[in-house]
Amino acid sequence: MAEPIVKYNKVTKYFDDLQVLDEIDFEIQPGEKVALIGPSGSGKTTFARLLMMLEEITDGTIEVEGEYLWHEKDDKGNLKPASSEHQRKVRSNIGMVFQHFHLFPHMTVLQNIIEAPVTVQGRDKKEATKAGKDMLDKVGLLDKADAYPAQLSGGQKQRVAIARALVMQPKVLIFDEPTSALDPELVGEVLEVIKSIADEGEASMLLITHEMDFAKEVADRIAFFDGGKIVEDGPPSDILYNPQSERLKDFLERFMNTQ
Amino acid sequence: MVWDWSYAFDILPEIASALSVTISATVVGFILALVLGLIWTLLIRSTNKIVHHVANGIVRFIRNTPLLVQLYFIFYVFPSIGIALDPFTAGVIGLGVHYSTYLSEVFRSGIESVGPGQWEVATALNFTKRKTWTRIILPQAIPPVIPVIGNYFITMFKETPLLSAITLVEILQTAQNIGASTFRYTEPLTIVGVLFLVLSYPASLLIRRLELKIAERY
Ligand SMILES: Nc1ncnc2c1ncn2[C@@H]1O[C@H](COP(=O)(O)OP(=O)(O)OP(=O)(O)O)[C@@H](O)[C@H]1O
Ligand SMILES: [Mg+2]
Repeated sequence: MAEPIVKYNKVTKYFDDLQVLDEIDFEIQPGEKVALIGPSGSGKTTFARLLMMLEEITDGTIEVEGEYLWHEKDDKGNLKPASSEHQRKVRSNIGMVFQHFHLFPHMTVLQNIIEAPVTVQGRDKKEATKAGKDMLDKVGLLDKADAYPAQLSGGQKQRVAIARALVMQPKVLIFDEPTSALDPELVGEVLEVIKSIADEGEASMLLITHEMDFAKEVADRIAFFDGGKIVEDGPPSDILYNPQSERLKDFLERFMNTQ
Repeated sequence: MVWDWSYAFDILPEIASALSVTISATVVGFILALVLGLIWTLLIRSTNKIVHHVANGIVRFIRNTPLLVQLYFIFYVFPSIGIALDPFTAGVIGLGVHYSTYLSEVFRSGIESVGPGQWEVATALNFTKRKTWTRIILPQAIPPVIPVIGNYFITMFKETPLLSAITLVEILQTAQNIGASTFRYTEPLTIVGVLFLVLSYPASLLIRRLELKIAERY
């Protein structure tokens, strides 16, 4: 098997005295789409935010393409906390789409998308604009290039946020409940966009979702979180139709009942 | 007491010409206040506890002591430690430093109005700290507080007569000098009041309009 693109090694996370992740080992292969499911508070978001470096890791290591994300080796080969340059270098492989979009309200849609390529990656503005427009086309919003975020619906905002993340060409793209802040009638358009990216993209995906049907359709693998651990991890058919643990059975049952 | 129009017109040019001192002290002082105010805000936000507490302490101290006392200090006490400043420089520094502490508070509220999501997405898009500030946070934090900043500008303008206390010949001092030599104070002091009114009232209207414009956009 190829070298994994992301590798969690005994990752532990505490918020003060509260343990949220408990020595998790986990891998994502290049191009692999992994869905995370599990009850509220089980640690899915925290797990993903550690990869985006939005939370501090408490213990363990995360590797991206064989490089430590949170650590660097010193002269003697011991791990020490990574410098911010090192963090930025490794982090540049990761992108994230948030539940609440977080578009830049002071910029037009197109500016939102090309801001980071130009400012962060130092790309040529013309090239970035072209790439940005291609992305907008891909998410079906080319006609909104000059609109401001306040003029868009929630579904459109999330599609812009997806285009903004994609234009950075991340190798791993994280989605944290990308549709749960949307009105029900807007969920479909966003899922459709994510699915089309999944179908054509070489990027790996880490997708936190409560949309089981969608997870089944898009994911190569589903990992079930409970109590800060990954309790089961396997192909969608196994996880959804042949759960082994009581906890997953319970979760799926409760989930079906609320549908 | 009768108002003497011809006397008033005689002295008007002299008083009005001193306006340039008043206005340049306001403008230079305010620029200093803006820059320093932003620096205070950033220092107070520092994750370094010592930097945070020291900056916070200084700002509180300055904000809670009278401007006049600070002006006296800068002008009359600094020379004893080898820093002798002319009245204009001392005045501008006094105004600038004093108002920087108010503006720092204004910047703080503007910055805090930008939600944590903007910081997170900046991290996710791999912005440096610096670019996060200049491209994402400040462009959102500043526009909503521009009216408040404008009001401080007008307030500071109206406080410049304090600088006469450290011998700066601005417009109040000029009027007083005229009054002292002619023994007529009504006209010169009235002119001073009217000049302040004529300048600050339209300015406040302008700010009001700006405020509406900004409210429209956000
Ligand atoms: N910044 C924080 N400070 C303190 N506790 C936190 C913080 N963020 C999350 N937690 C706690 O960590 C636990 C895991 O939260 P997390 O958001 O990772 O769960 P989740 O699986 O994403 O849940 P959900 O499905 O509701 O989004 C919860 O108990 C939560 O209250
Ligand atoms: Mg969550």
